Amino acid sequence: MSSSNRASVTFDKVAKSFGSVSVLEELTLAVEPGEFLVLLGASGSGKTTALRILAGLETPSSGHVKIGETNVTEMLPKYRNVAMVFQSYALYPHKTVGENIGFPLKVRGVGEAEMKAAIFDAARQVELDPLLDRYPRQLSGGQRQRVALARAIVRRPAVFLMDEPLSNLDAKLRGHMRAELKHMQHELGITTIYVTHDQIEAMTLAHRVAILEKGVLQQLATPREIYNNPANLFVAGFIGAPPMNFLKGTLKDGLFEMKGGRLGTSVKGSLEHATLGIRPEDAQISTKKAAAFTGHIYTNELIGDHTLVTADIDGQMLTVKAPKEFAGAPGDAIGIDAPANAAYLFDASTGARLR
Amino acid sequence: MAEINSSFQHANQRTMLARFFEQPSVGKMAPATAVLVYTILALWTLFVIFPLYWVLITSFKLPQTVNEGPFYIPFVDFTPSLHAWNTLIVTNFADTVRSFFNSMVIAIGSTLFCVGVGSMAAYALARIQYKPKLGSILVFVLLLIGATIITVAAGLDWKIVFSAALAIFFLLVRALSKHFTKQLTNNDILFWIISQRILPPIVVIIPIYMMFQSIGLVDTHVGLILAYACANLPIVVWLMHDFFAAIPIEMEESAQLDGATRLYIFWDIVLPLTRPGLAATTLLTMILCWNEYLLAVFLSTSNAQTMPILVAAMNAGDRGVLWWSMCVVIVVMIVPVIAMAVILQRFIAKGVLTGAVKG
Repeated sequence: MSSSNRASVTFDKVAKSFGSVSVLEELTLAVEPGEFLVLLGASGSGKTTALRILAGLETPSSGHVKIGETNVTEMLPKYRNVAMVFQSYALYPHKTVGENIGFPLKVRGVGEAEMKAAIFDAARQVELDPLLDRYPRQLSGGQRQRVALARAIVRRPAVFLMDEPLSNLDAKLRGHMRAELKHMQHELGITTIYVTHDQIEAMTLAHRVAILEKGVLQQLATPREIYNNPANLFVAGFIGAPPMNFLKGTLKDGLFEMKGGRLGTSVKGSLEHATLGIRPEDAQISTKKAAAFTGHIYTNELIGDHTLVTADIDGQMLTVKAPKEFAGAPGDAIGIDAPANAAYLFDASTGARLR
Repeated sequence: MAEINSSFQHANQRTMLARFFEQPSVGKMAPATAVLVYTILALWTLFVIFPLYWVLITSFKLPQTVNEGPFYIPFVDFTPSLHAWNTLIVTNFADTVRSFFNSMVIAIGSTLFCVGVGSMAAYALARIQYKPKLGSILVFVLLLIGATIITVAAGLDWKIVFSAALAIFFLLVRALSKHFTKQLTNNDILFWIISQRILPPIVVIIPIYMMFQSIGLVDTHVGLILAYACANLPIVVWLMHDFFAAIPIEMEESAQLDGATRLYIFWDIVLPLTRPGLAATTLLTMILCWNEYLLAVFLSTSNAQTMPILVAAMNAGDRGVLWWSMCVVIVVMIVPVIAMAVILQRFIAKGVLTGAVKG
């Protein structure tokens, strides 16, 4: 694609409140031209509001939004040259697939011949070209999703906005469409901002992930960095499946202690109320007498290629990813070990990461 | 376990009588219920159909057939005659056709006006949040009353007084608007609109008549079209508001992002999707205008006389009610309504929104 389609996006201290309820607090965020940025957060985190502000469907209470070098804060949606894919697809049920895809061009008064070529081009890109004369009601969920995508790419916008576009699809189709989306974004090179609550989508699609919680940006980094180096307790708990284990205890000169276990860590310092984070895949079941944590098996679940073993360590739960051959029964005594460099430590009261 | 088995057996051994009062399966009526329901439906159908049947056969009766007693079955009880039809369609052709034409023009004209303006108003109320301040409205009403009093009491030219009042209003509103906190919402506006329909028309008919007389609208088509449009506008706004509000807003947001203007979205997306509602509302408005009697009896004399007035006219004179002629006019009046219903029927189909959003 021509480089003119690649635009940067800048949020400069953008805040939004509805009445006295603040949904977005001073979001500052710079998206590179051609980047695939995922806004990740639970419902009510402000991610969709941020996207709607960029689209022009909401006006920010304060702050500026820029697309490229243009300040678009007060601009009408239609002048922003952005295309949006809605969670519900928002197809026009009384128009055929072709008319749906061509709608943005028809509105702009593009000529008949040029429009036909563009519609066919966009439809071919999402493999819909044989279905142009159908109506949305005659399509499957995945096909409707593709129509929405084709309608967005048909006019080569400066920025793509996607609001949970895959969440209405079944699990298998979602995986397939995820791969297609990533490939298509790579091919077109259009700056894309993608909103989701699904951490797998965020990890697999994004160049960078911005994690939002209660309207506050928690961390902005590559998926790898977010996984390996979470900025705080919230991010650590949000990313990873099964989620990171959190154990409450005290930290004394780098040694984490709790009832039923102790673990030496690479963190220097002491803290009365500390939280230790260990990912299930970083911990192992130990046969040694002097395991870091000892307790008994609470439950075990065979997933397929591995078994998730949850141990009760004196009242706190610790899940370990064990080999699929593991054959312990609930109630059996168990020891669990973890390497010092796999331990994440957080201040239990503020959630801040200790390093 | 044994207890459960025995209760299943019990269910199988129930008598015919017991089964008569029990649902054969989920979602089906028990035979007893079915008998009751269809009996009531049959009675109700008779109740609805009989007057229509009576009107139809009476239109083919001679005056003496009507007077000699109740006859119900043509060719058996009495010999049908085209006498009444001949009188109205051939002898009084001009009069009948004029009324029919008047009714047509007025019903279609006011329906178009009413549905056009009403649906746009309803769309605006469904999609745009208006926040008029209660204080501003109060100031406006007070100034209006003040201006009226000054005009009447002091005898000043009303044009000057009302211009002055309007100017004062805009100055006051700009200055005072910050101090008004109580705001009205779209729901208040909607209620205000429907409240005008709650008002019985009979209480405003005299003022309307005097107003129409002073501007020369009495006994004109335009006058009746305006009166009917005003009377039915609240119904159109109220009905269409719900249809518009039911359309997923994402569809309109998407169109907005794609560059469409509000009017374009209204014509190209919203209206086609509300076609069933629009058809039903049009039909209802048309029937209300077609059948309207009260306003017509006051606001028309001969030039703009409509069909309901012609029906009523058959009850005049020293010969009593001309049942046979009245029934002919009624049949002529019913036919277009049935035709309309049949034409609009196919638009009033469900499932227009299928495929718009998930599911």
